Amino acid sequence: MSGTLRQSGVRFLRQLGRQAEPIMDAYLAGSVADDTLEPGVQERLVKDGILYRPEPGADLHLRRVVRALLEEALRDERNRQIDANTGSALASFKTLADHYKEAHHHGDHAAAEVYLADLREHVYAFGETLQHGIRVLWSRINNEFGYVGTLNAKIRENELAQTQVSELLSGLELVSFQALAETAGDLRELRHLLVTNLQRTLSACTQELSIVQGRLLELLGRFREIRGRTRLLKGWLLHMEQHPDYEVAPHAAARSVPRLFNQAAPVLAPASLDIHDPTLEAELLALLAPIRAQQTQDRPAQSLGDAPELTLHTPDAFEVRSSPIRMAVDAYFCQVIDSGQAISALDYHQQETLPWDAESWLYQVIGGYDGLPEAQKHHFELDMIGEPHPLYSGNFIIRDLRLWLA
Amino acid sequence: MLSTKGHVIERLLQGAFICRTTDEDGWRFLMVPGNREEVDVYLGQLNRQVATVGTGADGEVFFCGYRQFDDDERKVISQQFRDICQALTPIAEWLVLVQEAAAQDAPLTEGAPLRLNELQTVIEDTPALREQLGRISHYRLFGSTSPTVDTQVKLVFKRLCELGYLIRPNPEKQIYLATGKLDYLYEVIRFIDEAEGLGLEAQAELASQGQLL
Repeated sequence: MSGTLRQSGVRFLRQLGRQAEPIMDAYLAGSVADDTLEPGVQERLVKDGILYRPEPGADLHLRRVVRALLEEALRDERNRQIDANTGSALASFKTLADHYKEAHHHGDHAAAEVYLADLREHVYAFGETLQHGIRVLWSRINNEFGYVGTLNAKIRENELAQTQVSELLSGLELVSFQALAETAGDLRELRHLLVTNLQRTLSACTQELSIVQGRLLELLGRFREIRGRTRLLKGWLLHMEQHPDYEVAPHAAARSVPRLFNQAAPVLAPASLDIHDPTLEAELLALLAPIRAQQTQDRPAQSLGDAPELTLHTPDAFEVRSSPIRMAVDAYFCQVIDSGQAISALDYHQQETLPWDAESWLYQVIGGYDGLPEAQKHHFELDMIGEPHPLYSGNFIIRDLRLWLA
Repeated sequence: MLSTKGHVIERLLQGAFICRTTDEDGWRFLMVPGNREEVDVYLGQLNRQVATVGTGADGEVFFCGYRQFDDDERKVISQQFRDICQALTPIAEWLVLVQEAAAQDAPLTEGAPLRLNELQTVIEDTPALREQLGRISHYRLFGSTSPTVDTQVKLVFKRLCELGYLIRPNPEKQIYLATGKLDYLYEVIRFIDEAEGLGLEAQAELASQGQLL
């Protein structure tokens, strides 16, 4: 029997492989029109249960199982189908377990083995279906329902996923391990399959489902918030349009300022450089370098065309004119040298009736003395005649000067 | 080198909004309650405190608020409130424009990228959007007098960067990121809506249903 099954299975898969293109067309487009397929091919596909006609006159559609196979293999995110039918799975477990027990009881080990293998297949398939459902949910969460365009559609998709999660969870609640243990009785194999194995699968799935539920709720909250914001913006503009003279009430002037509007004025301005801080020297130099570079770059380069013609000629003779006050100071110094006596600067000023006022004169004399070359300077002595300031220490008020030969 | 704490305090005292987009390090620092308390104690000496606004774990925005109010503080706050109210309508219109131009159903939020060139192309190709942009850019907030889309768009982006609603991470590229200050703006509209019972969301929904019918 298994030989014929195997053969027809292989033939079926070959059929799928041969007709891969029309099948994929049907998968992507949802259906295939009658006239696109050759009659022979069409007939075979319908006969093998790959395509079917949902109602008379309609196009051919892919059978659900084939579609599910493709969705699973392609990890198609549009796959929304989740099998939450725990009840029927449990019923089939019980039936198969009873078959097994009966065969075991009669000592028909060969039949018992077959029933056990069948049951194992069902239990594993049950776990696999659950995990598949969770995987589908996660893939939808991870791309944030990216396969639908609008926010409202995303919210609806999210709500669908949430009902699926709660259906899955309530389906899992149906599983009563006490009843399963009773079904299994004291048969070790059965107990292992129905209690230990299932328990492990279920606890993992329940845990994951609760995480999925949390994430779905979080996403829904975010979608609603985004939608709320869009509506808020549009509502605000609409309101401003309908009420052009609307003015916001002075919320910030209330006795207790709302937290939202409590925003302090900026107080911090950028700090300035301390150029006297030797520890900053390296940074300061580094700052200075680009500034210099910029300045040389910024200097407008004179184009050659603008330059005046260059001619060489003898430079105009000029002489440095010394100012009259400087000459008077020189004369004063000469007078001191000639007389060899100390002469007060103010006395000399009066005696010569110099035109400048006394203070400028004194400054100029000090300047003249300081301006002498070092070799000449130590031939003279300049006494400052005056008194310290009565209030502020360290200040000396010069009333007169006296120059004499050292 | 300034520590993260010093840096955060400096930014807050400069009146900046700290969000994940503008200053991720500072934002992470402030997300730790102990750190926030330390900054709060420091700011307390200047009659200031760390204020937050925002929703969710990732959407928080920090700024600097007053601790106690006197006449001066009230004056500052009233002025700021007037400023932000004046900015509400122009920026709301701009946000709707961006959303429509990009054909998205979510408005711009913190961290969302915005490409100036793409936006400009769409606006230039759509007369209705062009008109809308013209109106928006002539608001006093943006203060454009230019008739061309190019200068209008650039001016609006420049002003939004100055006001802290956008940042431009790479000065050589025309890609902008929305900052947490935009989220603050939404909160302000929401606050006004709730405080005055304007029912803005209901109005918008009613209007969109009317359009559908």
